[in-house]
Amino acid sequence: MTDAQLIGIAQYAVARTPGKLCCLGLGSCVAVFLYDPTAKIGGVVHILLPKAPNGHSSDAKYADTGIRLLLDQLASKGADRRRIRAKLIGGARMFKELDLTMSDIGKENIAECRRTLTELGIRVVAEEVEGDRGRSAYFSMEDGMATIRTAFSQDRRI
Amino acid sequence: MAEDDAKRVLEIIREFANIGAGNAATALASLLDMELVNEVTSCRLLPLSEIAEWLGGEEQVVAGTYTQLCGDLRSGVLVVFPPESAKTLVRHFSKQDEVDLSDLSRIQTSAICEVGNICLCWYLVAVSKMIDTDLIPAPPGAAVDLLGAVLDIPLAALGATVDHVIAVHTLFRGVEQVFEGYFLMLPENKMLETIMEKMGDSAG
Repeated sequence: MTDAQLIGIAQYAVARTPGKLCCLGLGSCVAVFLYDPTAKIGGVVHILLPKAPNGHSSDAKYADTGIRLLLDQLASKGADRRRIRAKLIGGARMFKELDLTMSDIGKENIAECRRTLTELGIRVVAEEVEGDRGRSAYFSMEDGMATIRTAFSQDRRI
Repeated sequence: MAEDDAKRVLEIIREFANIGAGNAATALASLLDMELVNEVTSCRLLPLSEIAEWLGGEEQVVAGTYTQLCGDLRSGVLVVFPPESAKTLVRHFSKQDEVDLSDLSRIQTSAICEVGNICLCWYLVAVSKMIDTDLIPAPPGAAVDLLGAVLDIPLAALGATVDHVIAVHTLFRGVEQVFEGYFLMLPENKMLETIMEKMGDSAG
C-alpha cells in the first residue's frame, strides 16, 4: 500500500482509477471519502475540526468547508453529484481522561460530517468511526473500497 | 517568528530541557530501579505541520502522555516514547523478553503511561521554575497507539492558536538499556511571550 498518495491533516486530493489515496494515523481527525462508482473517480479530505470559524485560512481543515470543497473539486473533474456516496473513517476519542478540560472533538467532527453530507444530499454508505483507537485508511479508486488498519486488529475493508 | 527571537527561544529551551531531563532521569532511575544518565540531544522550535515527521512518521506505534496547562498560561504538553523505547521500558518493568506494543495488558499500558506522566511533570517543573510562574496541568491522558492519532488531539485543541512546537529529544542511558523520549510543548502566544520576557535578561 506504499503507492498510495498521502493526504495529511487539512489536505485533500482527487484521484481516478487505479489511483490510491491514504490517511495515516487518524485519531480524532476524520477522513471523508467521496466516490463516484460509475466514473471511478473519488477524493479524500483529512479534516481536523468540525466547523470553520470566520476568517479561517484553510477550507480543508474543517468538516463543513472541507466536504464542500472536495465535492466541488470532484464535480469539476467529471464526477456526478447524484452518484457520489461517502465513507467516513476516524473521529476517535484518544484521551478520555481529558474530557473535563476539552470536548470530544472526534465525536463533534463526525456529527458535523454527517450534517454537512445530509445537507448536500450525499449518502453515507459505510463508516468506521469513534471508539478509542487510531486508524490508518487506504482508499482505492478502482472499486471505492477503504481498507482500515489499526495497531491492534486485522485490516478491515468497508 | 523573527530569526533572532527563534534563536533566543532555542537557548531558553535548551536550558530548561537540560534541567527537565535531569529531573526526569533521577525520577525514572528510582522508579525503574536502574542507574540512568541523560543527554539532551536535540532542541527544536518546529512548525506544527512538521512534528509527526520529526518524531519518525504517523504510522508508528508510540506511547504518548498528554495534558494541557489550564491556568493563566496555556499550552499543550506531550511526552512521547518511540516504539523501541516503549518496548524497552515495558520489557524492563514487566520482566518479559518479548513485548508487542499492539498486545499490551492494561497494567503494562498503564505503567508506560505513568512513566510518561512522571517525565512530563518533571519537565514542567523545570519550565515553571525557570519562568518563576505556577503552571497548572490538567490530569494527563495517555494512549499507546499510532503517532498520528496521538498527535491529533493536541493539534485539534490548539491548532487554531498555536503555530510552533517546542520539541526536545532526550536520551536516557542505563547500564544495559537505552531509551529515548520526546518532550513537546505547544505554547499559546502568551506562554511563549512570558518565557521570552522572564528569561530575557539571562538569555539576552
